[in-house]
Amino acid sequence: MPKAWVVVYSITDFITIGMLLTVVAMNSLKRMESFLRAYTINSLLLALLMAVSAFYLDAAHLYIAAAVTLVSKGVVIPFLLKKVVRQLKITHEVEPNINTPLSLVISSILVVVVYSSLSRGIFIEGFTENPLKVSISIILISLFIMITRKKAVTQVIGLLLMENGLFLAGFSLTYGMSTIIELGVVFDVLMGVIILGVFLSQIKKTFIDLDLDKLTTLKG
Amino acid sequence: MTGAFLRIKLPPTFFSFYGNLSIAFEMETDRPETASSKTTGKLSSACYLLCAAGCLFPGLLALRDLLLGYSWHVSLPLSGVLTLSFRGGGLSAYFVVILSILGFCVSVYSVGYARHSSASWPSLLLYGIFVSSMYAVFYSANIPAFLVSWETMSLSSYFLVVSDTKNPESARAGLLYAVMTHIGTAFIMAAFMVMYFATGSLEFTAIKAGLSGAGGLRSVIFVLALTGFGTKAGIIPLHTWLPRAHPAAPSNVSALMSGVMIKSGIYGILLVSLDILGGQPTLWWGVAVLSAGAVSSVMGIMHALMERDIKRLLAYSSVENVGIILLGIGASMIFSFNNLPSLAGLALAAALYHVFNHAVFKGLLFMGAGSAVHATGTKNMEEMGGLIKRMPWTGLFFLVGSVAICALPPFNGFMSEWLTFQSLIMGIKTSVVLTKTFMLLAGAALALTGALAASSFVKAFGITFLGVPRSQKAEGAHESSASMLLGMGILSLLCLLLGIFPGYMLRLISNIPLPGLGSLPQFTPGAFAVTGVASSGVLPIVLLGALLAGAAFVFAFPRLAGGRRKTTKTDPWDCGSRIFKKIYKPRKEVRIEYIVKPFFTREIEYRSEITPLAEAYFYRPFVRALHNVAHFAKRLQSGNLQLYLGYILGTLVVLLVVWG
Repeated sequence: MPKAWVVVYSITDFITIGMLLTVVAMNSLKRMESFLRAYTINSLLLALLMAVSAFYLDAAHLYIAAAVTLVSKGVVIPFLLKKVVRQLKITHEVEPNINTPLSLVISSILVVVVYSSLSRGIFIEGFTENPLKVSISIILISLFIMITRKKAVTQVIGLLLMENGLFLAGFSLTYGMSTIIELGVVFDVLMGVIILGVFLSQIKKTFIDLDLDKLTTLKG
Repeated sequence: MTGAFLRIKLPPTFFSFYGNLSIAFEMETDRPETASSKTTGKLSSACYLLCAAGCLFPGLLALRDLLLGYSWHVSLPLSGVLTLSFRGGGLSAYFVVILSILGFCVSVYSVGYARHSSASWPSLLLYGIFVSSMYAVFYSANIPAFLVSWETMSLSSYFLVVSDTKNPESARAGLLYAVMTHIGTAFIMAAFMVMYFATGSLEFTAIKAGLSGAGGLRSVIFVLALTGFGTKAGIIPLHTWLPRAHPAAPSNVSALMSGVMIKSGIYGILLVSLDILGGQPTLWWGVAVLSAGAVSSVMGIMHALMERDIKRLLAYSSVENVGIILLGIGASMIFSFNNLPSLAGLALAAALYHVFNHAVFKGLLFMGAGSAVHATGTKNMEEMGGLIKRMPWTGLFFLVGSVAICALPPFNGFMSEWLTFQSLIMGIKTSVVLTKTFMLLAGAALALTGALAASSFVKAFGITFLGVPRSQKAEGAHESSASMLLGMGILSLLCLLLGIFPGYMLRLISNIPLPGLGSLPQFTPGAFAVTGVASSGVLPIVLLGALLAGAAFVFAFPRLAGGRRKTTKTDPWDCGSRIFKKIYKPRKEVRIEYIVKPFFTREIEYRSEITPLAEAYFYRPFVRALHNVAHFAKRLQSGNLQLYLGYILGTLVVLLVVWG
């Protein structure tokens, strides 16, 4: 089915580029709510990608994975995070360590580095080439976001974005891991979010602030 | 046959341990309400007596093995892969005899020693474990058995060193000891690992067969083993733990540590370099051991000369004696490289003889020092003085030990050092130029060591026991209890016997199956002459007679001639610290605090210190460099989360670019 494959290419490319754009856009977002919304969109796109692949590959277990991703990352985690944000009364990120234009430039440099270095890779061809590059870019950029931001909540969201990127990488390399593994990963992430939520309120209680610069005082 | 030996040999070895174990637990259980200090004392006495009895059997059996040339081998399979195997006879038996003699005497001594000191039940238990583990080290016949017993020995002695919980100094000494001993063990393990990977066997005998062809590998093993065992033996500069750990430990334990435990390092060196590696040693092995011996003996005794703490003095003197033993071993290696088997045998016999002698007189001296410390409550010799009037027997025994360690006839130290000298001098007579040079230098070092040892023990005995008491504590000193005196007395007698009948001792040594020892020239028991190699000898009995006559003369002459017997007062000698300025780097300071200058003084402080050379030039620069590196590394640790994430991102990008 050559034609079907062409369709798969363009659709997967479209969705993954969308994911990349949401992550890049996060560099310029200041309001907590829009930050969270970008993460939600990213997760929804990931779920959509899995659903589309499931449809074209005719793999039943990918439907399950897509549904689980949709529920956990698209609904539950954003809901939990929104609750935490509201509880802790954080609306805005303070001025980031690196200003917005510069961080956008650095993000694009990261994308270029990934694309140029992975083009020489041995195992990337056909369907998964683009998603894999995008996934690595997402991982690096979200790590970069964690570096530039100061609030603990943004760190958590950055971590979750990295997790999305890793999920995408795993998916693009294996056409979906077995269901039990994906369920396990999703469960891990959920637990992680809950624990991090507790941590955030503890940090807030101890330092009266969620600014991570204060954590340097813990150093011996 | 094997089974029978298992029943005969092993129970006595571990007998003392089990005895201690049961009594120790009994003591613990009835301590809280009923046990007064008296019953505790009785139980600890029983415990130590049991230890002494436990030392007798393996000692006698090992003596029989050695005399009749028996050897036995026992395997204890623990699992499919792990087997502990033990063997007796030969070199093991020789060291077991030494351990048994000293273990017996020290245990008898401990009966009285522990009654007055605050010995707790763990230290009793540890004492038993310590003695048993030393037996196990000497009996071990494969790598697992050796390492397990070695570690047990190190750990139990560590806990004994830190058993004085009230003194913070002992905890620090213990830490240093633990660090050094584990560095040593690491080297030993490395040596054993190389052996195992080269031969695929864990048994010493199989390794010996497998290594006979290996060339460069043998040198690697030798260097690792020399470093590892040298740490335990106290070769300079690996000796730093010795002068700290020995004073911190209870005196009975330091007697065992200095008498036998550091000899386990010598045993290890002999086992690896002469037995397992076997064959002909390379020249530089002998040179390495000889130089280590020369440096250790001279530097050790020079530090001993400067010590005020009596037990530290003895510890430094142990370093010196290990140096003398290594001089013999090194000379033996050089001789066998040059195909001079009879000389090699002589030098090795001298070294082994000195191992025995040092165990006897150093054990004696540590026990004597322990009695003195016990009676006065201080380790500082300058606060003692005049003890010979208050504790005459202890004084006499300490004097015997001092004379023996100074290598004066007719005591045993003289015989072994004389033999070492003989072998070195005969080495000078040989035709090989290189050998000649080394022997000449080693002989010079040994001569210097002998002179310094004499002066340092004149000082130790003189300051401690002669003169008048210099403190209230010394004035209130009392004679030690009977069991303590008995322990010291046996060793004193042994010092004399080993010195008068050296021929029997050498006959014993010639039964050890090490290269060169079989061809040892036969010694007649009475006259002591190295026939067959060269014609020089001594008659110990005649020496004894001459000495007695000389003493009588010295005693009688001033009385007959009516010479001056008045006390004269002069400036004291400053112990040679000015002559050896380069090595001691002395620092003297007098600080006076005045109330009204210059008439009324509030406080005068005299301070005179010497710099420990190895610490100043070997360990401190190393530690400082480590601190600098750590300080630099600390800058990376800002504590800032974002910075840490930045490190990760940087690493990832670099990895992508380089290997992507």
